[in-house]
Amino acid sequence: MHYHITINISAMEYIKILDSEFDKKRDLPFASAIKAGFPSVAEGYSNDSIDFNRDFIRHPEATFYGRVYGDSMIEAGICDGDIAVIDRAASPADGDIIVAFINNEFTIKYLDLSHKNNGYIELHPANKTFPSIRINPDDDFKIWGVVMWTIKRWKK
Amino acid sequence: MLYAICDCDNCFVSCERVFNPSLEGKPVVVLSNNDGCVIARSREAKALGVKMGMPYYQMQRMFNDQIVSLSSNYELYADMTARVMSLIRKAAPAFFRYSIDEAFCLLPDITSTETKIWGEHLTQWILQATGMPLSIGIASNKTVAKIATSFAKNYPGYHHCCVIDSDEKRIKALSLTDISDVWGIGRKLSSSLSKSGIHTAFDFASKPVEWVKNKHNIITQRTWRELNGDDCIPDEETASQKSITISRSFAKMTGDFDELRAHVSNFASRCAEKLRKQHAVASTIGVYIVTNRFRTDMPQYGNSFDFPLSTPTDSTITIVNVACDALRRIYREGYQYKKAGVVLMGVSSNQGLQHDLFEFTPEKVEKLKNLDNVIDSINHHQGKHTLTICSQQYSNAGTADEAKSFADIIRHDHRSPCPTTRWSDLIKLR
Repeated sequence: MHYHITINISAMEYIKILDSEFDKKRDLPFASAIKAGFPSVAEGYSNDSIDFNRDFIRHPEATFYGRVYGDSMIEAGICDGDIAVIDRAASPADGDIIVAFINNEFTIKYLDLSHKNNGYIELHPANKTFPSIRINPDDDFKIWGVVMWTIKRWKK
Repeated sequence: MLYAICDCDNCFVSCERVFNPSLEGKPVVVLSNNDGCVIARSREAKALGVKMGMPYYQMQRMFNDQIVSLSSNYELYADMTARVMSLIRKAAPAFFRYSIDEAFCLLPDITSTETKIWGEHLTQWILQATGMPLSIGIASNKTVAKIATSFAKNYPGYHHCCVIDSDEKRIKALSLTDISDVWGIGRKLSSSLSKSGIHTAFDFASKPVEWVKNKHNIITQRTWRELNGDDCIPDEETASQKSITISRSFAKMTGDFDELRAHVSNFASRCAEKLRKQHAVASTIGVYIVTNRFRTDMPQYGNSFDFPLSTPTDSTITIVNVACDALRRIYREGYQYKKAGVVLMGVSSNQGLQHDLFEFTPEKVEKLKNLDNVIDSINHHQGKHTLTICSQQYSNAGTADEAKSFADIIRHDHRSPCPTTRWSDLIKLR
């Protein structure tokens, strides 16, 4: 069997919200508690600014980006040119959109684990003109990462 | 106290394989700048007999097309190793990175099973998160931990983590280790040792202490003591050839940021000089600070931070600035620091002519900095070496007269993309 689906070693990783140390480009405003003087009334309620890196990226070291080519996932709203945010540390579940390496290329597809008990899994495109891909136990198949978000540019 | 040495397996090849999984299982080598010689080999390439440092043309002649050859892509390696190091740092109470692909951690002396589980989990987690295979060797000193690392790497049964925590295990490991593979025993020394009948680490360690003291220098004596179980090599002497370290213990401890910054700037600038003397560039700049471990009456703190650079550099200005930024990240008030150090990692040859960077007035430095920024941003967006400075005209060792532009002469015919650092190079999903 060559399925490599879940190796997540620690559920702890899921309740850890963020470790900002890795991100070298972002400077978070720190609470004013370390400054001298009277604290602001709003102190207890203040929050750091909304930050996409902090809030959308659960595992910064495990997060990679890919660009979508073609229309195989168009019915899922994922189009040519979109950017996929891929987390290698997330556990792939049935119905997730995942990235896998098949036939010498990276592919983005829905993961279907419903036939796992029958000894195979399937990858489905979101486009009726594309075929599903069946993965048998003897295939050298690895899920490369789980697609957490996609980013689409609207402004012309 | 236990040391855990963490070492990426075939680091550069492994980085390439993450983004090109079709290289999995194939013999792969990575070439030096200019595609001159082999600087990294996959397990399969090693098995075929490709040697480290072998010139590319010679390898081609011997192996034809059996081997996939890639130009080095330090931009990718710096980013990937920064991810790996960050994960190790999060998992370990104390952490020192000493080369682009190696670090050691200090672990509390917990039970052997717990240590083993910690190590196995960490390697699995890092493999899943980044795709990087890692091996960890754990022992009560660095020399023995290094031996444990090579067992972890070479025997699948260890599941990437080998713990040597008893005299019995240490002696067994030593007797299976060739003396030339012991950390700190150079090629010259190991050949002279083997002439006098010392072939394994165990042979060497069993020699009487008088023999070692009479025949060998202090460094070799230290290795002998470590093989026998003592812990005597200071943390900052762990550097490998692929890195440049300048560090010092201060005569008087200090808690003052500005004073620390002055020291770190000094170390950084000396590192840069050393780098240029070797005609090399560095791709990652690390800084560490520690309090005095022996002053148990005082609060203890130690930390390190590494900055990967998008463009490898030998510039004093850049290296000093980056080092000071790194110091700012790790400095905490309220501690008395005993020691600081700057480590340049990912050191590789630039094969270029060096120009005097020191005849600068402050205005000139400022201008150059701005220029640097503009060049960097153009190169960052348009691809490396879009713009190069005239002073970066290069000449090959053999053809000194034919100075050509950097872009022309630095060969990287087989360079992979930079999918983690450039929007233009993202992996393609179909």
